[in-house]
Amino acid sequence: MEKIMEMALREAEGVEIYQEEFENTTVSFESNRLKSVESSFGQGIGLRVIKNGKIGFSSATNNEDLDLLVKSALEAASFGQHAYFKFPGKSHIPEVKCFDPSILSISVEEMVKEGEEAIKLILKEFPDFRCEAELNKTITKTSIINSSGLRFSYNKSLYSFSVYTFLAQEGNFLGVEEEESSCQHQKWSNLLAKRVIDKIKFAQKKADIQTGTYPVIFTPKAMPLLLSSLKMGINGKLVQKKISPLSSKLGQKITSQLISIFDDATFPYASASSPIDGEGIPSRKNPIVEKGILNSFIYDLQTAGLMKTETTANAARDYDTPPSPSTTNLIIKPGDVSLEEMIKDTEEGLIVDQVIGAGQSNMLMGEFSVNLDLGFKIKKGKVVGRVKDIMATGNVYDLLNSTIAVGREAKFVESIYTPPIYFAKINISG
Amino acid sequence: MRSYFLSVLEKIHAEYAEIRYEEVIFTHLHFVGKELESIETSVEKGGNVRVKGKAGWSFISFNKIDNLSSYLTEAIKKASLPRGDPVKLAPVLPQVKTVAATFKKDPRKITLEEKYYLCSRYNRILLSAPEIQTSDLKYTDSHIMKYFANSEGAYIQQERFHIALGMTSVARRGDNIQSAHEGVGGVGGYELVENQEEKAERAAKRASELLDAEPLTGGKYTVVIDPKLSGVFAHEAFGHLSEADFVYENEKLLEIMRIGRRFGSEILNIIDDPTIPGEGGSYLYDDEGVPSRKTYLIREGKLAGRLHSRETAAKMGENPTGNARAISYEYPPIVRMSNTYIAPGEKSKEEIISEVKDGIYACGFRGGQTNLEMFTFAPEEGYKIKNGKLTTKIRDFNLTGNIFTILSKIDAVGNDLILFTGPGGCGKNGQSPLPVSTGGPHIRIKNLLVGGK
Repeated sequence: MEKIMEMALREAEGVEIYQEEFENTTVSFESNRLKSVESSFGQGIGLRVIKNGKIGFSSATNNEDLDLLVKSALEAASFGQHAYFKFPGKSHIPEVKCFDPSILSISVEEMVKEGEEAIKLILKEFPDFRCEAELNKTITKTSIINSSGLRFSYNKSLYSFSVYTFLAQEGNFLGVEEEESSCQHQKWSNLLAKRVIDKIKFAQKKADIQTGTYPVIFTPKAMPLLLSSLKMGINGKLVQKKISPLSSKLGQKITSQLISIFDDATFPYASASSPIDGEGIPSRKNPIVEKGILNSFIYDLQTAGLMKTETTANAARDYDTPPSPSTTNLIIKPGDVSLEEMIKDTEEGLIVDQVIGAGQSNMLMGEFSVNLDLGFKIKKGKVVGRVKDIMATGNVYDLLNSTIAVGREAKFVESIYTPPIYFAKINISG
Repeated sequence: MRSYFLSVLEKIHAEYAEIRYEEVIFTHLHFVGKELESIETSVEKGGNVRVKGKAGWSFISFNKIDNLSSYLTEAIKKASLPRGDPVKLAPVLPQVKTVAATFKKDPRKITLEEKYYLCSRYNRILLSAPEIQTSDLKYTDSHIMKYFANSEGAYIQQERFHIALGMTSVARRGDNIQSAHEGVGGVGGYELVENQEEKAERAAKRASELLDAEPLTGGKYTVVIDPKLSGVFAHEAFGHLSEADFVYENEKLLEIMRIGRRFGSEILNIIDDPTIPGEGGSYLYDDEGVPSRKTYLIREGKLAGRLHSRETAAKMGENPTGNARAISYEYPPIVRMSNTYIAPGEKSKEEIISEVKDGIYACGFRGGQTNLEMFTFAPEEGYKIKNGKLTTKIRDFNLTGNIFTILSKIDAVGNDLILFTGPGGCGKNGQSPLPVSTGGPHIRIKNLLVGGK
């Protein structure tokens, strides 16, 4: 890295080198049995330069291409955007729990055993179903150095386990997907199997629902459908381009006051946790929405510079992509209502768990229109069966504004920590 | 490369082993609004070994090729872990082939400056219509060298250029934000992205006009879809279900997906064809070294075939089709589509629309998804059809259907087949985006569920 720094500094006034080395192992089960064992050993270097005040970037995977890397980054800088920032120097970097050394020593055989346990539990209840499962462990070493004197590297581990259970019957396909991931090794076989089994049980009966407007409960697994629009809305880059619907709403109410949301890269062992962001800025906890009021957008150095504000330590990147603002762990503050209480409260309504067609509507505006892959009908305070062949349509901001209750039991769905949330209305057509 | 790979493969003892290696140099430009967000030329090199054991696979990907022998030894060890039904491969004649890139203009000989000026010219057009707030233009050209060798003696070296240009205009009026997209590209040279001013103009004009479109009330409609959307329809509504890895070990699904089952009327033909030159999903050999070929998925309304890897073909006793593809050296090949389309029929677009009393004309696409039973596909815009005429412009609606019943609701197939590709592509099992083309003529579907306000 120091050699690249030296080469690039001959022509550039600012240099940043970002290096990643990773090793991962995946065991995959298909049709109820172990089918493949996969590993990868990867590495790469991203080089960002500031030359004559303008930014250039290039990346490479192999040491033999370092000359090309430096030449390409410098050439790109002659066309690049004017830099509205300086690379950060040394500063106090917090200790963030994102590495569990025990993951290093987990054997393939142990991972296989965990997968087999979950599948066995599910097949015991539902022998006709087919299970697919995937367990993955990844260790990444990230290093960043820059011409302002920053030298930092950290290790991160990740362990994940997903199960997909599927039954194809003419006119009645049913697939249930459940997953967990963390920087820490945990044994999730029982937990995942139980979640799959419970949902298959609820889906055994079919229920009908008429076209109309109903109260709706989004399970944690369904919440990313709503939060992906919000993530775009708070993204500093979209604010800077004036295409975020929230661009003029700082300090204003954008959701019900029951909703508070943080972005927090320091959350212990969460999948998007790290001590620094992609530009070496120390990680922190940022309040995004406080009791319904929009508190902050998220920025990297360049976007913050353009907007004449400070970075929020939200530069996301890999070695082969230049930094860009993105959320880390998005945390929705849990409320005080249980899922059971929400169901009891519903005269006639729905639970949304899995959808098809997310991310295809006008997401900037918060619109969504999805087919209910896995949804349940509630009648007189009880879950009465699965509803299917229907479309659920709405607007994320309208929904968040109509929140009736925020659930008590939150969980991580990838890097989003969320409880179930109960909203006043969603449009259903069928 | 050949002698090195073969010498390594000679020394090992495995039922089946293969080595893939790739060298990719790409140039990428990204404009957002008036600003050039990023511009880069980068190089990526890496490979993998894949070994078949008695009942499963192991796979190791890497960047450092010097350790090839030790990766192979490790992979052979891991391949013995899976137990159960044996995994077999359909026989394929081992090919020894060198395939050169086909192109008119070598993108490597075009200077970065020239690419910059071409993209900024298109970008200015994207920003030129009334009320346009911003644009998003992505250009990528890649030079790809792919090497493949297996323990059966195959060695295939394929060179190609892949180029893609995606152009989006975003219009805004208060809280109303609308976008329109055009994409071009495929396997070929710089010529594929030249002279696209008209497409940029179209994206800008459409985004601007969408501000005046009305949201649609959800419900069931007769829907005419344009070639862009009928391509997504072919891909989502049927293509994925034709991928044999979904059915080959699932007897229940196989009963439902038996060859010869009628899905639609005789006017309907759906085809996957990687041999069409210059499209997004065009190739001569797949990532298992199997020659590519045209496959009828639906012929005259009946299930006629499916897409295979060597493993799924062996298991089902069908012929391999050359559809095992990986998005890069970091992934094993899995069964994928290539260029998937609905074959043209007899009717003109005008006839198809004029026969509709009350319905919708849906155009362009934002994406699609399936769970093998239901699927969704999202148009960019549309019009209401009243008494055979296009009337009010509509926006923000999504189409959905059941794969097993939808094809029988198609009652007209147009004569105007067009194939589309661009940046992005298809996603499956974490491998995304895989370059594909999709296309079709105008088609008409009765009684389709539409999600709207």
